[in-house]
Amino acid sequence: MHIMEGFLPWQWCLVWWIIATPCLVFGVYQLKKVLEADREALPLLGVTGGFIFILSSLKLPSVTGSCSHPTGTGLSAFCFGPWVTSVICAIVLLFQSLFLAHGGLSVLGANIVSMGIVGPLVGWTIYRVLRDTRVDMYLTVFLAVAFADLFTYVVTSLELALAYPAEVGGIASSFILFLGIFAVTQVPLAIVEGIVLTLIFKYIVQLKPDILSQLQVFPKEKITSAGSVA
Amino acid sequence: MPFKYGLELLAVAGILGFCALFLYTSSIMSNAEFAGSDTVGSSQIAELTGKSIEDYQPLIWQWVPPSGEIESALFAIQAAIGGVLVGWVFGYWKGQKKAA
Repeated sequence: MHIMEGFLPWQWCLVWWIIATPCLVFGVYQLKKVLEADREALPLLGVTGGFIFILSSLKLPSVTGSCSHPTGTGLSAFCFGPWVTSVICAIVLLFQSLFLAHGGLSVLGANIVSMGIVGPLVGWTIYRVLRDTRVDMYLTVFLAVAFADLFTYVVTSLELALAYPAEVGGIASSFILFLGIFAVTQVPLAIVEGIVLTLIFKYIVQLKPDILSQLQVFPKEKITSAGSVA
Repeated sequence: MPFKYGLELLAVAGILGFCALFLYTSSIMSNAEFAGSDTVGSSQIAELTGKSIEDYQPLIWQWVPPSGEIESALFAIQAAIGGVLVGWVFGYWKGQKKAA
């Protein structure tokens, strides 16, 4: 999902940095608050962050004949919210732009907006709408994770379309073009990521249900009933 | 969940399905290169603007891994950091649960 260094005009780099920066600052503030309130949240942060590290390093082949990687941001998005997630993503993306030449410092803002902010925000919104309904907890998790992944790539496509409108059809037609490259490739990956992280979430429910109810990730009844069945 | 290992089965089925899909598409698409979508996206930009890929130079200087080997090593390190974190925490929780 990275926009590569040099492939975004500096004006757009600046725009995305300006959008990303306040989100990151707020994320750091929230992170401090969560950890001050409960030190036991730190291991959960480690697990959700760990999966961003693991999954975003796996480049998998897809149906379009090109490769792409899952994002792993969904777990963190619904456990801690999109802003905290943006901070973890910024660390991963910084690592990748410094050592791997995937992304780069000028386009880091744009990449943080897609993978760290809007993707997780979409996943979190889906989760937030479904959390207090009767929809199954694991289905909620699956949808949040899969859409956080998919929308990361939709936003990347949009960022590129805004910077490079097609001569015929403008932004809309180059958006569709980039969606064909990024988002279509991503659909199977997003589904598998959704299933795998849902399974991981089940293990968290089994091992450490109290941290999930303390952070009010899901209503207590949902966590207890899921824990007793599994 | 209808029974205890429903999600595990679903995950295995999903991963196997993903592999099968890959084997199928790679066998019918003989010209597929399986390059990264980053690269494909960048070529698309070049095509849209009518410039060549070489015209796009980094705005900020960037270290590039000298070879694919080194790059894959660094990616493995990234995954390992994540793996260590996840394993450590699950072990920590397991121990907590046992002690309780």
